[in-house]
Amino acid sequence: MVSFARRSARFPGVFLAPAIITLAAIVLFPTAYLLYLSFRHWVVTRPEKYFSGLANYGLVLGSSTFWHSAATTAVFVAASCLVTLVLGLALAVALNRRFRGRGVIRALVVLPLLIPPVVAGFTWRFLLNREIGMLGSWILPSLGLNASMLADPNLAMVSIVIADVWSRTSFMFLILIAALQSIDMSLYEAARIDGASSRQEFTFITLPLLVPAIIVGLIFRAIEAVNVFDLIYVMTQGGPGTATQTLSLYGWRVAFTSFDIGRGAAIAVVMVIFAIIGTTLLSRRVLR
Amino acid sequence: MRRLSNWLLGGFISVYALFVLVPIVWLAIGSLKTRFQSLRSPPTLIFQPTFEAFQKVLAGGVGHVFGNSVTIAGINVMLALLLGIPAAYALSRMRRPARKNLAFWVLSIRLAPAFGLVIPLYAFIRGIGLIDTLGAVVVAHMTITLPLAIWLMMSYFDDLPVDIEEAAIIDGASRLGVLWWVIIPLSGPMIVAVALLVFVFSWNEFLFAFILTSSEAQTVPALIASLAGTMNFDWPLMSAISVTALLPAFIVILFAQRAITEGLTMGAVK
Repeated sequence: MVSFARRSARFPGVFLAPAIITLAAIVLFPTAYLLYLSFRHWVVTRPEKYFSGLANYGLVLGSSTFWHSAATTAVFVAASCLVTLVLGLALAVALNRRFRGRGVIRALVVLPLLIPPVVAGFTWRFLLNREIGMLGSWILPSLGLNASMLADPNLAMVSIVIADVWSRTSFMFLILIAALQSIDMSLYEAARIDGASSRQEFTFITLPLLVPAIIVGLIFRAIEAVNVFDLIYVMTQGGPGTATQTLSLYGWRVAFTSFDIGRGAAIAVVMVIFAIIGTTLLSRRVLR
Repeated sequence: MRRLSNWLLGGFISVYALFVLVPIVWLAIGSLKTRFQSLRSPPTLIFQPTFEAFQKVLAGGVGHVFGNSVTIAGINVMLALLLGIPAAYALSRMRRPARKNLAFWVLSIRLAPAFGLVIPLYAFIRGIGLIDTLGAVVVAHMTITLPLAIWLMMSYFDDLPVDIEEAAIIDGASRLGVLWWVIIPLSGPMIVAVALLVFVFSWNEFLFAFILTSSEAQTVPALIASLAGTMNFDWPLMSAISVTALLPAFIVILFAQRAITEGLTMGAVK
């Protein structure tokens, strides 16, 4: 066995190098370049470029639009994470038992995750349209809701959360059902012998054992939700006004419609820092 | 009690299935209307279905957009497998500590905010004059697809028994020989599944494609978004393009089941 290891001493490097070098070139280098850009004044439509120190960060952190977008992002992320968690958990529990047609239902539940978010956004925009959409012009008015969903600031936020939930619940479901299936069935048998009800089984066995998976799921989902761009762009472009303008959309507006690359880069860096702080807090607090 | 909860769960599953299906069906119905029918308010389900919108997709100038998406996703599949399989195999057979760090780094790329990457990529690609080229989008998409392929193949290789390859190596086979003659033949279905998943990730991606292209290299999601930004909506045409854009998702659901859970959760399940 020693000779096996020795003979292959040069082995991993040669196999790894192409992929690692590629990843370094397309991920590490841009990350460093992002930091560099965030310290520079550069508006694409103007000729002057120079080192501007922390000026971009000052502009970003001193702007009320930035903090407004951060708050909007927090609302969107919290709502989307919470709803996908509840629905994903219910789906995982429901689909963890055997019944006829489970495979088909499971495939159906997973499907939205594979659909381009741009298409998901467009489809919900179509559904919710006040004049010609099934929900917006048939169902919601017959329930007494006559407002135009995407034109009202609060309802627009509700709409993008619903569309995001439609698109991303399956992610939570996949994580939670994998965790459910790894629970040792003998725990339930023991509980049943001791006369536990199914609700007691859920609160005292299932739920505690799912906590690590729930935390991992929430962290991944939160990062994903902070980064959502496509869905919101297609549905509202951040509007009406700035009601659904999350940080991704704000950053895009600064970097690619005002062409202020330096300030856009600073926003991206601040977003990364927020994400790192958020995930560290979440994982520390609950895992301890 | 148990029966009641079965009923509740059954009811919940049915309602959720409707929630998933109704939008897709509505999109499909929308794609079969004429533009005139689509603008009727309130909408109607009783109409003469027509393939007019799909004919417009075929005849109008959007063919090259679908071609771009297929090319970009196809090149991503090839590069992700070509670079990813050897790397995944090496990671899978490496000694533990180094492997753990490298694998974690590869995984963490998936969590990097795309918005943080798109600004420097745009600035760099613009600097070398390659904005609106297929190559620019291919490179950007590899930040997603290469880690995905490495991660999936690595955890698949972890589960393969090592005795055959050890026997082959003792018989004098090189590592490359082992990979080519032993490992890859054992991994056919998984490689196909990973290829399909890589294809879908590239096909679905929007932000990079949207920022890095304008017309020549535009992809399907970028096209849908730019149509959604116009004032004069052609709902059936957009629905028809969207329906066509769904095809890869359906193919993956049908043929790539084994890579789905891990591929879509990427390390969150393992």
